Amino acid sequence: MSKGQTSENLGKLSDSLSRIAEKALAMAKEMGADEAKVATSASFQKRLVVENKEFTLANSLESRGLAILVHKDKKKGSASLNSVDEGAVRQAVADALALAKYSVPDENLTLARPDVAPKTASLPFMYDEPLADFDLEEMQGMMAETLARLTRDKRVALDRYEMAADISWHGMGNSHGVRQTERQSLATWSFFGMARDGDEVTGFDYDGSFSFGKSGLAAKKMEGAEAFTRKILGALKPRQAPSYKGAVLFSPRAVQELLFGMILYHAGGRQVMDGKSRWDKSVGQKVSSDKLTLDDRPHDPRFAGATAFDGDGVPTKPTSILKAGVLGLHLHDLYSAKKTGNKTSGHSGGPFALELATGKDSLASILGAHDTLLMVDRFSGNSDPIKGDFSGVAKSSRLYLKGQDAGGVTETMIAGNFFDLAQRVLAVSDVAENISGSCSAPYVLVDGISVTGN
Amino acid sequence: MMKDMLAQLAAGSAGFVELRYHKRTSNSFVAKKGRVDVANHSLTVGVGVRALVDGAWGFAATADTSKAAVQRAIAEAQRMAGALAKARGKRNVTLGRGKLSRADVTGEGFQELRDMAIADKLGQVVAYEQQLAKASGRMHTARCRYNEVLEEKSIVTSDGASCSLSIAQPEFSLTAIAEKDGERATGNLGAGVNGGWKCLFRHPTLDNVVEETAKIAVDLLDAKYPEGGQKTVILAPSVVGLLCHEAVGHTVEADFVKSGSIAQGMIGQRVASDLVTMADSGRETIAGYAVGNLPFDDEGIETENTVIIKNGILNSYLHNRESAAEFGVAPTGNARAWLFNDEPLIRMRNTYLMPGTSALAQMIAEVEDGYLVEGAGGGQADSNGEFMFGTGYVWRITNGKKVELLREATLSGIAFDVLKTVDAVSKEFRWDLGTGYCGKGQAAKVDAGGPYVRCKITVGGRQA
Repeated sequence: MSKGQTSENLGKLSDSLSRIAEKALAMAKEMGADEAKVATSASFQKRLVVENKEFTLANSLESRGLAILVHKDKKKGSASLNSVDEGAVRQAVADALALAKYSVPDENLTLARPDVAPKTASLPFMYDEPLADFDLEEMQGMMAETLARLTRDKRVALDRYEMAADISWHGMGNSHGVRQTERQSLATWSFFGMARDGDEVTGFDYDGSFSFGKSGLAAKKMEGAEAFTRKILGALKPRQAPSYKGAVLFSPRAVQELLFGMILYHAGGRQVMDGKSRWDKSVGQKVSSDKLTLDDRPHDPRFAGATAFDGDGVPTKPTSILKAGVLGLHLHDLYSAKKTGNKTSGHSGGPFALELATGKDSLASILGAHDTLLMVDRFSGNSDPIKGDFSGVAKSSRLYLKGQDAGGVTETMIAGNFFDLAQRVLAVSDVAENISGSCSAPYVLVDGISVTGN
Repeated sequence: MMKDMLAQLAAGSAGFVELRYHKRTSNSFVAKKGRVDVANHSLTVGVGVRALVDGAWGFAATADTSKAAVQRAIAEAQRMAGALAKARGKRNVTLGRGKLSRADVTGEGFQELRDMAIADKLGQVVAYEQQLAKASGRMHTARCRYNEVLEEKSIVTSDGASCSLSIAQPEFSLTAIAEKDGERATGNLGAGVNGGWKCLFRHPTLDNVVEETAKIAVDLLDAKYPEGGQKTVILAPSVVGLLCHEAVGHTVEADFVKSGSIAQGMIGQRVASDLVTMADSGRETIAGYAVGNLPFDDEGIETENTVIIKNGILNSYLHNRESAAEFGVAPTGNARAWLFNDEPLIRMRNTYLMPGTSALAQMIAEVEDGYLVEGAGGGQADSNGEFMFGTGYVWRITNGKKVELLREATLSGIAFDVLKTVDAVSKEFRWDLGTGYCGKGQAAKVDAGGPYVRCKITVGGRQA
């Protein structure tokens, strides 16, 4: 494919989708909808797959989709399809209206107006022409270098390694005149596997990340491969942790799994709306240790979820969810905002790019502060967001004795309560890690966790 | 007609090609707290093409199902495969032959569900949510979810498969959150089938589903948590199914075996008590309407009942055509793709433990101190067989009697170690994970189940 060809093809497909979206809005009006929204998407993807250390599959995909939402007599219905055929789109509009007819009236249904959803500019870092032109041979060469690093140690049992280059476009428009579009180039990669030494098999692990541009891609991918290899080989010859109740160090991945989910649940507009949030009246109040500061940064190029507008078409903006433990806002979309008498915070489909601020303590000083310390890297278990209780297995985790790495652990369970530990943050590291491009977090030392090992 | 067009195109293509037309029509409804959260109709249609060139696979897909578009997709898949083969050198790939299907199958309930008015389905969902909301004065949230998928496929390969299917997969679930003095508890019941609407509501889990869901939530309000530790536990069919799928099934998928899962090299070895016979089936077996029933897989291979563990001995892995040839066995019909634009991967279908000869009542009567664990929650398992599952609720068994309802527990262990402790398997059997989806890069609709099984397992306790 010649240079610029993929971009040109995406341009043609997005033009065609924009035209059919306008027609769908007109059809909805003509068929009796009070208001309507059409979301469209198009993408071209090239993907290479390595299985069991060999290149096995080359993939070329063109995707497109339309999603139509209608409101009629305060009732809603929706339909989606992957065709641009006018007859099929007309049928989809009719299907959405048929569903609305039998739905339940809801006074809070609403679509964005131009005053809350003005046309917003795309984020400039999200599209890189050289990445759009990334060809299969070049991708294969880059992957081969990383594969050589991954397989240098024969104990690495690489189950699957994938890399994809996508260019995509998505847009939304509604019957009140709101129109938004956004274009993106995205390279993603992932490693999945374990270590095997004789009969010993570790648990699986994974790593992966993304880049909006081609520059620096190879180095970033190699760094990920190094980290993945270190992690799975370090899990060989595990031991059981001792049982104790006390301090546990959460890695950035564990912070994402255990803390972010709970914080977002109780800061979520939908949970506030449904009476499930314990922080429904806590905006402006202290809800956690003052060591926790959490932001959503939708315009930050370090995060794959970066976007200029949310699912309602409302422009996104950086927001402070927690500032030194004080709840900054509830994350509302138009619906939950209307139902609770608030304004949207531009979080339909969000948050988009979470960052927990780093603290003042070095990782070495945190590890050295306790004679026995479990460092939890992944959590495989269950949590009750309403009560805050969680319990499960500490995966890919390590034991530190007097600050020294004593090795990986196996069959070690942890249990605790989110509301309790949120108040008992002992330290936050001065370094953070970007977790697969989805968010960023430092290491967080918390107290009051039950560890069940041997 | 689509199958004929694909056959014509496959016959005219050089080398091996596999063409798969896939039309998925789905309706999803969610009613919650007196409102309709989701009322969505979705249609996804297209053709996926796999081509094999010098041992490299190329895949391309098109949402345009015209002959010209499919021809272009074939050329693109061949181009991708050729480019990959050129870049990395030839690889010798043989495809297991198996039984290439020539069947055209319309499943029970497909027509019924397609013809049923959308108003009736959505109306029922709203009505169920309203009934559940009124089922107890302690109800905080009632939620009803219904999802139906109508699958239509035609699969043609250049070496002889030529088959089509039309099947329906509806699923229904209720969730109740009860509240008392700020304390909340959840009840959740649901079922999914391969069949129509009437068939769905004949599923034993949906007997008195409103009353049962509400009762679980309300009764759990006053329940304590079980104590942690190594316990004698009777696992209900849904939990047995989860164990079979997550902790054993994934480790015997041949692609994962090749990579080094714990099951590698263990065929013929004891991995469970001799009371344990475990299988993965695409065919109707033991009880009807399991969601994973498929006459053939997405490579056009007729499915079978694949016995994974026979009387405690590891017997077979799960294969696609390529892995079967590599292992020198017949394909087991486990190649599945989620949508037309996904390539087939080795996936499970209905994974289960064979029923035994014990009666559940007797199994309970023989327990001095233990638990009966009901309702599968979320679960994960690992390449080394280590698993962790959540459960819905627990009955304490003391001196052979169910004496106290307890809240959910977390179960963990090493799958083959736990299966070696099985000392009783009930004759009662139920498919009970029909609302479940398996994730492996792509989603897959699967089912799982089994009898009641008594074993020793680690129950995770709450904070010490």
